[in-house]
Amino acid sequence: MRIKELTKKYDGKTVVDGVTFEIPKGKVLSLIGPNGAGKSTVMGIISRLIARDSGQVSFAGTDIKKWKSRDLSRRLAILTQSNHVQMKLTVRELVSFGRFPYSGSRRTKEDEEIIDKAVAYMELQDIQDQFIDELSGGQRQRAYIAMVIAQDTEYILLDEPTNNLDIYHATNMMKIVRRLCDELGKTVILVLHEINYAAFYSDYICAFVDGKIAKFGTVKEVMTKETLSAIYKVDFEILEISGKPLSIYY
Amino acid sequence: MKERSMTAILAVILLILAFLSLFVGVINLDPASLLAGDMEQWGVFLVSRLPRLLAILCTGVGMSVAGLIMQQLCMNKFVSPTTGATISSAQLGILLALLFMPESTLWGRAVFAFAAAILGTWIFVWFIQRVQFKDVVMVPLVGIMFGNVIGGVTNYLAYKYEMTQALSSWLVGHFSLVLRGRYEIVYLVVPLVILAFVFANHFNIVGMGKDFSRNLGVPYLLVLFLGLTIAAMITASVVVVVGSISYIGLIVPNIVSMFKGDRIRGALIDTALFGAIFVLVCDMTGRIMIAPYELPIELIVGIVGSLLFIGLLFYRLKHGRKAVRLKNLWDGGCRASAGSVDGGESS
Amino acid sequence: MNVKAYQANIRKLGIMLILVLLAAAAYMFAEVDFGNEKLFRYAMKIRTPKLIVMLITAFAIGGASIVFQSVINNRIVTPCLLGMNSLYTLIHTAVVFFLGAGSMAASNANLSFAIDLVLMGAAATVIYSYLFRKTNHSVLYVLLVGTVLTSFFSSIQTTLTRVMDPNEYDSLLNSLVASFSNINTEIIVLSLAVLAAVIFILRKDLALLDVLTLGKDQATNLGVDYDRSIRRLLLGVTLCIAVATAMVGPISFLGLIIANLSRQLLKTYRHHLLILGSAFFGMIVLVGGQLIVEHVFVYAVPVSVFITVGGGIYFLYLLLSNKGI
Repeated sequence: MRIKELTKKYDGKTVVDGVTFEIPKGKVLSLIGPNGAGKSTVMGIISRLIARDSGQVSFAGTDIKKWKSRDLSRRLAILTQSNHVQMKLTVRELVSFGRFPYSGSRRTKEDEEIIDKAVAYMELQDIQDQFIDELSGGQRQRAYIAMVIAQDTEYILLDEPTNNLDIYHATNMMKIVRRLCDELGKTVILVLHEINYAAFYSDYICAFVDGKIAKFGTVKEVMTKETLSAIYKVDFEILEISGKPLSIYY
Repeated sequence: MKERSMTAILAVILLILAFLSLFVGVINLDPASLLAGDMEQWGVFLVSRLPRLLAILCTGVGMSVAGLIMQQLCMNKFVSPTTGATISSAQLGILLALLFMPESTLWGRAVFAFAAAILGTWIFVWFIQRVQFKDVVMVPLVGIMFGNVIGGVTNYLAYKYEMTQALSSWLVGHFSLVLRGRYEIVYLVVPLVILAFVFANHFNIVGMGKDFSRNLGVPYLLVLFLGLTIAAMITASVVVVVGSISYIGLIVPNIVSMFKGDRIRGALIDTALFGAIFVLVCDMTGRIMIAPYELPIELIVGIVGSLLFIGLLFYRLKHGRKAVRLKNLWDGGCRASAGSVDGGESS
Repeated sequence: MNVKAYQANIRKLGIMLILVLLAAAAYMFAEVDFGNEKLFRYAMKIRTPKLIVMLITAFAIGGASIVFQSVINNRIVTPCLLGMNSLYTLIHTAVVFFLGAGSMAASNANLSFAIDLVLMGAAATVIYSYLFRKTNHSVLYVLLVGTVLTSFFSSIQTTLTRVMDPNEYDSLLNSLVASFSNINTEIIVLSLAVLAAVIFILRKDLALLDVLTLGKDQATNLGVDYDRSIRRLLLGVTLCIAVATAMVGPISFLGLIIANLSRQLLKTYRHHLLILGSAFFGMIVLVGGQLIVEHVFVYAVPVSVFITVGGGIYFLYLLLSNKGI
């Protein structure tokens, strides 16, 4: 997947400014940066949720605008933060929606098996008949991830998956992300606020400032004192724990 | 200096319009024959035109001041006699008077309307103080619905006791029945507005919240209920004479405060003048449009007012954060906590 | 688990259908003199079209409310609360006003209804899409503007009737606007045709409703053309409301009550069940209510008054308990 010269304006204000990068296949890529740097907007554009002003997003050789939405939804899944379901929907029913791009509303036996697997993978068997609006934040997030797994796509895009989760649930979420990549071979792209999660669990990091890419590279390349201080405009120290760079800021 | 000049301009406009309005109507009046001492013309003038003008002025001044008081006390720009169930309560009061005392005079009905309007407003304000709303617009929404329910009860009683005909003249406000001897209650507005002016600073302080006013030694509950009572009585005395007139109490103070800021004393006179002009213009439009017949003022105000209100809402939505800035400074008061509107674009 | 809940819901709908039939039968045969064939026939002739109108209305409002709620993802808003029915009444009045009460278009009920429908579809689409865009779909603002629009439309409408005939506006108002004491039975066939056409044309979008409730992002993720479906469904909702209002006049809170009752009873996201449930509730409320009004209150109080009071209180309850905001 290649992104070229992407630009987006809101009310005359440029939020994404000539962004170009390539998403490495089969790896975890984290988008980081201060508030308003354009991370989520880029994520929205490459998943066709947001219309771009100019630039290109080519997916498997074809621009995403030329993809049929239904076909794209079998190759690429996105999970945003805006998941307010008003309806009485059980966990299993939510996960079942992941099969919609394949079978519409009539599910086959094979679909049911995939749903079973997704539910099991996220350890949701015990609560699969509970209603979504009765769950805790962490459980709900897991249910949505299960739906994305059931969608069975090569690419998975997650917009701030650790948002509003406590340390326990957030760390678990990141471990799941890692497993999605390592065990299931998915390409995962995340927007993250917590730099150390990005450092510890991803392969590549893309740092945004003011709608532009400040630094793109492997974790080691991006996680340096100079780069991070320049991006966030606070002082950083980099430590190394179990072979991975972690940052302290103050 | 600039503030004074605005007040002066409004006053001049009002005077000119008031003079013009005296000569709009089915029977042709003209200043020349009045001066010449034409008795018939003087009759029309004194029995119909002058009372009508005075009623219009009282209505415009009263409703807009009532709205201003309620908005100040509740620290919510969307509270008014229309959106605070005051008008519908007053109507229910009138119906009850018609039911229990069919022989009652205008004054008898007025007493019922006063009691009902005060009670309805108190209940509404007590209620919105109880509940923490997550958005400022919840308050008018609840108020409108509350008013709808009261209106529904009124309707039910009216149907049940076959009073719909009798009630209809209070449902749609109009000035066509304002004649000498039938409208004098509306003069009550004058002392009430003066009272409001005297207590203006108190209302301002109470609007800042319970703790704030206690700190300044202002008895919170007393002033709050005094203010609401004044607003409700003004509204009720207008409703008894001309019927329901919506939106004025909502629109006029908001427009004035866009130009003048929120200090009640400074805004009070301008609000009163502008309210009078607004009602006068609407009434003249209603009289001219299908002359020799006339359209009830409630219809004109309903069209103009609701459009302005929607414009106001969109304006507040766009400049939302600025408009509700005061809210988080002090806790208490019957305001809603603001700020859930802005979605907050993250990253 | 899933299947069990589904079957339970089917059973609930079955019971409701029986209740609907009972209410309909009671309405048809209450206080009828079976002995006198002439009177019996007369009663049937009066009551049958009325019953059909109520059933159609309940279905149109019930279905439209559920679809609308799902489309804008909020349980507290219904099309009638946003003034769609007053908009229809206004359009109807305006057509008669500008074409002249004596003209072909105005005197032929079906023709004027057809004109109304076209105008309604266009006007409502423009107004409400503007409203949603301008408020960024912020539900409370949509609701407040909607309530104000209601009074705006009805003020213009009353003004038009008064301008048409200042002397007899009351009778004019009554003949122009349908109500429960003045049910419009002339357009039954056309209404049924419109409803059937709407359902047929939107059948694919209706099947997508379950997915649409997940929200724009999720629906797009699952490969649905969200905006297009929403536009088509909203147009369908508009036409359904037009049909209902043309036949019985504006009843604001009916949709709110029956849609929420249906959601509460069935506790499901499956829209074909919800729509049926809502329609059945509507039929029970309308037919049962009319039965009570006709035989207990002897026509003194129209059923819409009860719906306003009950619906208003219910709305306040929903608003304050924060359900569905």
